[in-house]
Amino acid sequence: MFDDDAVERVVRYLRRSVRIDPALDHRVMEEIAALPAGPAVPAGGVWRWLTGHRLTLTPLGALGLAAAFVVAVVGVWRVRAAPDAVEPALRGFQFVLVEPHAANVSLVGDFNDWDATRTPMHRTPGDGLWSAVVPLEPGRYRYAFLIDGRLWVADPTAPTTRDDDFGAPSSVLTVGGL
Amino acid sequence: MMRASGYAVLLSFCLVAPFSRAAAQGDPRLERLDEATRPVVVALIDSARAVGLPVNPLVERALEGAIKGAPGATIATAVRRLAADLGRARDALGPGASPVELDAGAAALRAGAGPDVLTRLRRARGHRPVTMALAVLTDLVARGVPIDTATTAVLTLAATARDEDLVDFRRAVERDIAIGAPPAAAASIRVNAAAREARPGRP
Repeated sequence: MFDDDAVERVVRYLRRSVRIDPALDHRVMEEIAALPAGPAVPAGGVWRWLTGHRLTLTPLGALGLAAAFVVAVVGVWRVRAAPDAVEPALRGFQFVLVEPHAANVSLVGDFNDWDATRTPMHRTPGDGLWSAVVPLEPGRYRYAFLIDGRLWVADPTAPTTRDDDFGAPSSVLTVGGL
Repeated sequence: MMRASGYAVLLSFCLVAPFSRAAAQGDPRLERLDEATRPVVVALIDSARAVGLPVNPLVERALEGAIKGAPGATIATAVRRLAADLGRARDALGPGASPVELDAGAAALRAGAGPDVLTRLRRARGHRPVTMALAVLTDLVARGVPIDTATTAVLTLAATARDEDLVDFRRAVERDIAIGAPPAAAASIRVNAAAREARPGRP
């Protein structure tokens, strides 16, 4: 193991001031200048054009340019600040039903146009748990489970609809945001 | 001689009307309705569209009836009733209400809320969406909370609560009901607790 004195000596050595040859910079730049020229950079032409021209603006022109810049910045900011207004965010919702004796279960509702073929639920091996995940935009959705293609069951974990016009219960899910 | 503006109106009608009718008739989803029911539902949907009501909830209601095997007359009645409720909801919520708000408003009306309740909720929510407040009101009634109690509760919370707070409130009431609390008592107790939290320092 190192003793404290040895560590202290190493620290002092590493902290010592180093004297650099004043001609080092000059020698490095000379070697760089002696290197062969590389391939032409396309941006170089643009840079030469930009630096080779002198832009003169009248006060009115400068004001107009500044106004255009502000409009562009504000426009970009507004688009970035309110993405939901353009494209509502989708959130995944999991629907679950315990039905040990079912051979197949479908999730059917407003989100899949009441099409029993579009959202089949998947059974967890070993038990009677059926589940499906559906991405939903903000809105109000009526839905129900269709068991073995003939039995309609409302979601026991969700409120049922009051307007049961068709003699089979449905449930309601409301996704906030609009 | 017809003026230029007259030509413009006539041209607009000629261009828009066929597309408007075709929009419902051409909706492939409605092909699932039987041939006798489809034209009735299409006419109802066209009427709703003509007065600026959202039509997708009407289409979905018809599809729900179709897959559940309801008779055509029942489907038409349900669609007609929903269209009427959407119109009443718009009258109550104002012309600026979003389609989702109108759908939630129609459901609240069916649950027993009066149009004045929708108007007061809209006013209480200010510029924020009223969808979740209406949905919670409807859901509470569906869980057995009397409409007056549910209305009072949601109106109490509507001014200050966020959507998430309203959902939390509904879940708390549902939990209480699930373990045996009377629905009216559960809603009252929970709304009082929420109101106390919103006014810290008061007993």
